[in-house]
Amino acid sequence: MFRYNLSLALASLQQRPGLTFLVILTLAIGLGLYTTVQTMAFYNSSVPVAHKSENLFLIQVDSREASAEPITEQVSMVDTTYKDAMNLQQWQIPGVTTSLNWNTNGVINVLDNNVPAIRSEILATNSHFFSMFETPFIYGSGWGSEEDSSGAGVIVISRAMNDRLFGGENSVGQLLRIDTLNLKVIGVMADWTITRRFYDRSFAPGYLHEFFVPYRFALNNDLPRNARFNCWSVETQDNPQFRTENLQRLLNSECSWISFWAEIPDQQLATYQTQLGNYIESQKALGRFPREPQMYVTHLQDQVNYYGNRNGYINTFKMISRLFFAVCLLNAVSILLAKFIRQSREVSLRRALGARKTTIIYQYVLEVVLIGFMGGLLGILVSKIGLWGMLNIRLYAVDYTITAQSIAHQYQLNWLLIGEAFLTSILCALLVSLYPIWRVCNISPATQLKAE
Amino acid sequence: MLKMENVSKIYRTELIETHALRKVDLHIKAGEFVAITGPSGSGKTTFLNLAGLLETFEEGDYYLDGENVRGMNDNQLSDLRNEKIGFIFQSFNLLADLPLYQNIEVPLRYRGLSQADRKQRVEQALETVGLASRAKHLPTQLSGGQQQRVAIARAIAGEPKFLLADEPTGNLDSLMAQQVMELLEKINQSGTTIIMVTHDDKLARRAHRNIQIFDGQVSDLEYSVADDIVKRA
Repeated sequence: MFRYNLSLALASLQQRPGLTFLVILTLAIGLGLYTTVQTMAFYNSSVPVAHKSENLFLIQVDSREASAEPITEQVSMVDTTYKDAMNLQQWQIPGVTTSLNWNTNGVINVLDNNVPAIRSEILATNSHFFSMFETPFIYGSGWGSEEDSSGAGVIVISRAMNDRLFGGENSVGQLLRIDTLNLKVIGVMADWTITRRFYDRSFAPGYLHEFFVPYRFALNNDLPRNARFNCWSVETQDNPQFRTENLQRLLNSECSWISFWAEIPDQQLATYQTQLGNYIESQKALGRFPREPQMYVTHLQDQVNYYGNRNGYINTFKMISRLFFAVCLLNAVSILLAKFIRQSREVSLRRALGARKTTIIYQYVLEVVLIGFMGGLLGILVSKIGLWGMLNIRLYAVDYTITAQSIAHQYQLNWLLIGEAFLTSILCALLVSLYPIWRVCNISPATQLKAE
Repeated sequence: MLKMENVSKIYRTELIETHALRKVDLHIKAGEFVAITGPSGSGKTTFLNLAGLLETFEEGDYYLDGENVRGMNDNQLSDLRNEKIGFIFQSFNLLADLPLYQNIEVPLRYRGLSQADRKQRVEQALETVGLASRAKHLPTQLSGGQQQRVAIARAIAGEPKFLLADEPTGNLDSLMAQQVMELLEKINQSGTTIIMVTHDDKLARRAHRNIQIFDGQVSDLEYSVADDIVKRA
């Protein structure tokens, strides 16, 4: 019976090809927009390093001066001072690793004069950065604790930069220059498709750093510090230009400017928090931390949720796309109704010849599943076009300061989203067909079979 | 064989109730050829729909081949319709997109017969109605008379006990009507009970038994037809 009903369903699709196409198109357009927005929302709320995002914590302690304004939420809290970052990373708590970072920049060039130099952002960080955040590598790896302390001239570069500077070859061991400083390539990262640059607290969607150097190297060579400095007023009276000057003074100051992360196993969290509280108290005794003790130990998941929810435009798009989809579905109901009612004479005849009502329902459900499947297929095509459009809008919005490749992964359907789109399409097609199928199955055969 | 006891059918709207059939008592025996006549709107088609299980009734009992259909659910009624009843309609009601073979196959499909069984029955039915060579033709490629013969083939392919024919010659010219009637008589002679609604007195007289429906009430004209035959003789 399945094969027979399937053949009837296929024949029915071909009977009124215009109407069939219209239903599929209506479903596809609604679904396409819906899936476009769902995809953007998915990436907007997707969490980097998801499997341990509840164990990766941003550490913030309020080291500001007594007269500073009160802060009531984590996102407004200042970063960490150099002193605190150094102190905190020395703690020896089993299972806990820490990483710190700040932004710097420079002109990158290689020995090959044919490759033009480029000015780029660089992340100064420590060796744990690569293991804590599970950065993928195609060649080599990150550096070790030895380079952390020595400040050796080693550098990790992105795949894109490896392509650009070294033609995509394995460049591990090759020399590269930041301004006039020589560094040796130690690792080439594979595409790191995280949706937000969480590690420097910018949470900028899209582009990541292309170069990573040991923070000690950055300090030893006084690379510029592209940071937001939160200093006590007494330290900024003479406008010290901490970005490019007065490094030693900065390191000894109460200025907060370093992002400090800790990976803490569940069972050590309470210990860590207690120790952090004790640390604040001990520093108070040294004349630091003049304010009421305040600290934030915030895991990555919470931070992503915050930024995900803050993107109001995504929520607005979501609502619009749902409403639009609902309108499309309502349209699909009327088109299906028109299509099915046209077949009421045939249905009546089949009923008279012995088809059970359930058999007729079965036949129409098959037809609708086919419509849903085709709607899903076309819908995915529409959403691909939609995502391509949104990608270009985003590029336009940031004035083409980023490349399409660097954010393309956020505008791509994955199997999960494709599966969801198909399921949505088929379920919605079934939903909209409930009434038309019910109508056509409940028409009295006797009324339809009378002589014309 | 087909027995109705006190069967009534009422159509209700918000404003009025129409008694389409009133307390019908009727017994049609196996192998009979019954013609049902009556003026338009008298309830002939309603009777045929009830007999064919296409409509339900409010009162009374209806025994089809010994089974009381009152209270049967849709699946039971559909199965009974499929196995015991063949329909012939005035407007043929063939599926225009399907070749004759597939048209005739429809009730057999719903009975769940094997492909070989279906083939054998369809071919036999086509043979009976004299259209064996046209199995692959579409209904639109046939004349009205031929289309009605296809409809008859579809009705008899499942070897039902009853054929219900609603004005089977109503859309045909007299020559074709004659052929269709002869075919129905042949089928009846092989043992199938036929109940035929018709406006045509001449055709009605060819049946074994005439039943008249007037204003929803059934009266048997068996004897008056016999009288008529006597008078004509």
